[in-house]
Amino acid sequence: MIQVSNLTKRYVGRTAVDQISFEVGQGEVVGFLGPNGAGKTTTIRILTGYLPASSGTASIAGFDVFRDSMEARRRIGYMPENVPLYEDMRVKEYLRFRAQLKGLRGRDVRKNVGEAMDLCGLTEMRSKMIGSLSKGYRQRVGLADALLHKPELLILDEPTNGLDPNQIRRVRELIKQLGLTHTILVSTHILSEVEMTCDRVIILDRGKVRACDTPANLVGRMRTARTISLELQAEAPLAIDKIKTLPGVKKVVKESIDENGWTRLTVRAESGRDVRESIALIAADNAWPLRELHAHKATLEDVFVEITQSEHSS
Amino acid sequence: MSGTLIIVLFAATLALTLWQFFKRGTGPVLFIKELRSFFLSPVAWVVLALVMLLNGFSFTSALTDLRAGDRTVTLAVYTFWSFPFWLAYFFIFPVITMRLFAEEQKLGTIETLLTAPVSTLQVLLSKYLAALTFYLVLWLPSMLNFLLFRINAPDSTAAIGSLQGSYTIIFLLGAFNIAIGCLASALTKNQLVAAMICFTFCLLHFLVGFVLQFVPVPEAFRGFADYISTHLHVRTFVDGLIDTRQIVYYISFAILLLTTTFHVLEFRKWKV
Ligand SMILES: Nc1ncnc2c1ncn2[C@@H]1O[C@H](COP(=O)(O)OP(=O)(O)O)[C@@H](O)[C@H]1O
Ligand SMILES: [Mg+2]
Repeated sequence: MIQVSNLTKRYVGRTAVDQISFEVGQGEVVGFLGPNGAGKTTTIRILTGYLPASSGTASIAGFDVFRDSMEARRRIGYMPENVPLYEDMRVKEYLRFRAQLKGLRGRDVRKNVGEAMDLCGLTEMRSKMIGSLSKGYRQRVGLADALLHKPELLILDEPTNGLDPNQIRRVRELIKQLGLTHTILVSTHILSEVEMTCDRVIILDRGKVRACDTPANLVGRMRTARTISLELQAEAPLAIDKIKTLPGVKKVVKESIDENGWTRLTVRAESGRDVRESIALIAADNAWPLRELHAHKATLEDVFVEITQSEHSS
Repeated sequence: MSGTLIIVLFAATLALTLWQFFKRGTGPVLFIKELRSFFLSPVAWVVLALVMLLNGFSFTSALTDLRAGDRTVTLAVYTFWSFPFWLAYFFIFPVITMRLFAEEQKLGTIETLLTAPVSTLQVLLSKYLAALTFYLVLWLPSMLNFLLFRINAPDSTAAIGSLQGSYTIIFLLGAFNIAIGCLASALTKNQLVAAMICFTFCLLHFLVGFVLQFVPVPEAFRGFADYISTHLHVRTFVDGLIDTRQIVYYISFAILLLTTTFHVLEFRKWKV
């Protein structure tokens, strides 16, 4: 559906997107991840035909986004970052106008506007001025607009930016639902969202693709646990000191102690080392009863931080 | 011979442009939306009221002078070549054009607009034509002056030529100055700045022509001076003389300015 190869975009004095290549297949829901300034919006603007690339090519459903821009655009439902809207139009008017712009005529306009409003929960707001809507509803208007012409591909640039947790959840549900029938490229820096909704993740950092895989594989690649919880019966200060001296342990934090002397500790280890065995051994040596030793599974957040930060420090 | 060629080329270009504009009916959809936002904005009605008020002033002073028996004045001259007219002339263009692109650029809606299957040409022309239409609507009430006059003085010789000339120059001035306004608005995201640029250029154009009318310029230069003097043009047309040179002057400059605006809007697409 989307094919990008060696795409580069240079602004005056800086390269925002540097030789990136990726593909998005029909029906996939792909998360486009990266810290602020990574080049997500720039890439998306090239895909939607708003900006030209400095070099490289991109195509949507086989249509080059620069040469066959109109055909490519007809196949995209795009919701830009921050959802720009005309403040002085009513929701229904705006959506009708957008539907007509996208080539719908006559009965189709009314029908598709109605369906998009239903899907996005805008029906009660249809006669409200857009300028008077809350952030959450504006976001829905933007999404309804993107859906109007039933595009094959949805491109959403930070759809949950600035929403409260309930609204974020609602948008996430909606994306999940839309993912059943659409190809979606959704840019975000909220990781839980991606983990729950996306088939695949592309991590972009400073203009380069750093990783491109399913969330499960990405997390799986971080094989070693980095945070460990344990509970043992011992003198807390002594246990903490001893565990701290183990090779690979960065930090030990006391969480709680109950009246029977059970101490909960959280251990942070260097990445690439599993310190669980040595903790178990040291507990045995000191005859501390150990009743829990649990390594937290890495999350996508860990992957993200690892990928984007290790690069910065090097 | 070359004249015919130019006309044929011009007609072909115009036809191609119109075809591009009307393609898939997108141009008219945009045009209606633009026109609608004109008539829904309070600013537009204030402008309309002011223009009507100024027309009223012209009408009263014309009647006063006519009643005094001054045979050298006509109602058309009072309406379109008087102080109230020039007052309206200078505030109309900045006010009706400043919003066009500056607002879209400020809100960011230019991105939603241009990522829809819409061409830059369609966006530009729809905005330009909507502003021009609104501008022409502003002058409709001035026809009331002539109608009233006609009703009250049925035996007066109606100067049809003078009216034709007046409304032709009104149209030409609009076509030209609204193109200046479009360019100004496309250059910035600040409406106030757009208004200032537009005002400055309208004023400069007027002043250069106006000043050249009164300073002794070399004879060879006289033709040029007359050619760019809005002040003189309005008078010629209002007197009923429709001069093709001026039609060519205003229309070709309007096209030049619109082409420049088009390239300003397309600037982000330049590969740098
Ligand atoms: N119009 C522009 N002119 C110059 N630099 C820009 C422009 N737009 C974005 N940039 C720069 O390009 C980089 C990538 O920006 P962007 O694509 O918006 O990142 P993201 O959406 O991932 O946060 C940033 O460093 C930003 O400062
Ligand atoms: Mg962005």
